[in-house]
Amino acid sequence: MLTFLALTSVALLGIVPEQSQAIVIYTGWERHALVGSDIRLSCSFFSWRWTSEDVTFSWTYRPDGSRDAISIFHYTGGAAYVDNKGPFRDRLEFVGNPGRRDGSILLKNLELSDNGTFTCDAKNPPDIVGRPSSVRLLVFEKVPIQAGVITGAIIGVVLGLLVLIVVIYYLMRFLVARRVFSLSVSKHGKKKKEGSQQRQIKV
Amino acid sequence: MLMLAAIVVLHITTIVLLLVAAIDSAWWVKDSVSADLWGKWEFTNNMWHYTNLKDYPEDYLQAVQATSVLACVFTILALFVFVAQLFTLPKGMRFTFTGTLQIIACLCIMTGASIYTAKLHVNESSGGYGHCYILAWISFVLTFILALTYFILRKKKE
Repeated sequence: MLTFLALTSVALLGIVPEQSQAIVIYTGWERHALVGSDIRLSCSFFSWRWTSEDVTFSWTYRPDGSRDAISIFHYTGGAAYVDNKGPFRDRLEFVGNPGRRDGSILLKNLELSDNGTFTCDAKNPPDIVGRPSSVRLLVFEKVPIQAGVITGAIIGVVLGLLVLIVVIYYLMRFLVARRVFSLSVSKHGKKKKEGSQQRQIKV
Repeated sequence: MLMLAAIVVLHITTIVLLLVAAIDSAWWVKDSVSADLWGKWEFTNNMWHYTNLKDYPEDYLQAVQATSVLACVFTILALFVFVAQLFTLPKGMRFTFTGTLQIIACLCIMTGASIYTAKLHVNESSGGYGHCYILAWISFVLTFILALTYFILRKKKE
């Protein structure tokens, strides 16, 4: 009786965690790009189960300032379906590898109106419980100077130079003193010894 | 003794003026807007709001920020080095290290204030320079005088 209970509890412990773990989806947090360039939005997931043949990836896009999201990509049953009517028609390409849990898409020829949030949702049956993950896309006309980069660079370089100059100054003083000392020992070592002997005799 | 006290007091005053110029928010003042190197205070709806600086040439603004911070750092360093040199300098020598640091601080604040004058707010007709801008130029004069003093002064031979 006791062994039966022990065996069932171990079996339950083995099965229950697998079912209670959810699928975890990873995308970037924020991506920056220039107008006219291409960008790859990566999406990957972690699941305790083996990658199933019915794995699905879907991407939705919500423009900045809008409350509705539009579906732009779906991969299911081994086939990828890209946007052919929406804002990304002819600009979207699937570059992922579903067998390796990679559902990345490539957006080509970015425009300023592409600013927004892209959400990736992946399902790995029977592991379907999980939270979709979002990546924010920021499209710039020219690369903006981030706040404080030039400031920090100037301050760092000047203070670094100051420290370097002080260190070199003291190092030179120390080295010159040592060089003078070692030169006199090697060249006039014998003479010095004789000199000190003579002085001792005199004293 | 009196001269030493006067120089130290002048140096500390310069440090305070430089810190106020760098930190306080009054480089450019309009009726209800007060801007400095780091942000802008706007008085709307009976409340002061702190916002980021927009439409400023970013690279020049950051250069002014860097030089004013460096000027503060160098004057403070110069004070510490002066006190250290008071005890360690051989008699009859000049305070060159202190003077060098102080002249670098003078150059920094001069560069910063000049860039601010030449490149920012060039085409604006309303508004004028605030007290921090004036303090920056006053501290330029003071740092220059202090640097000269350190280069000329000799430690007493007693």
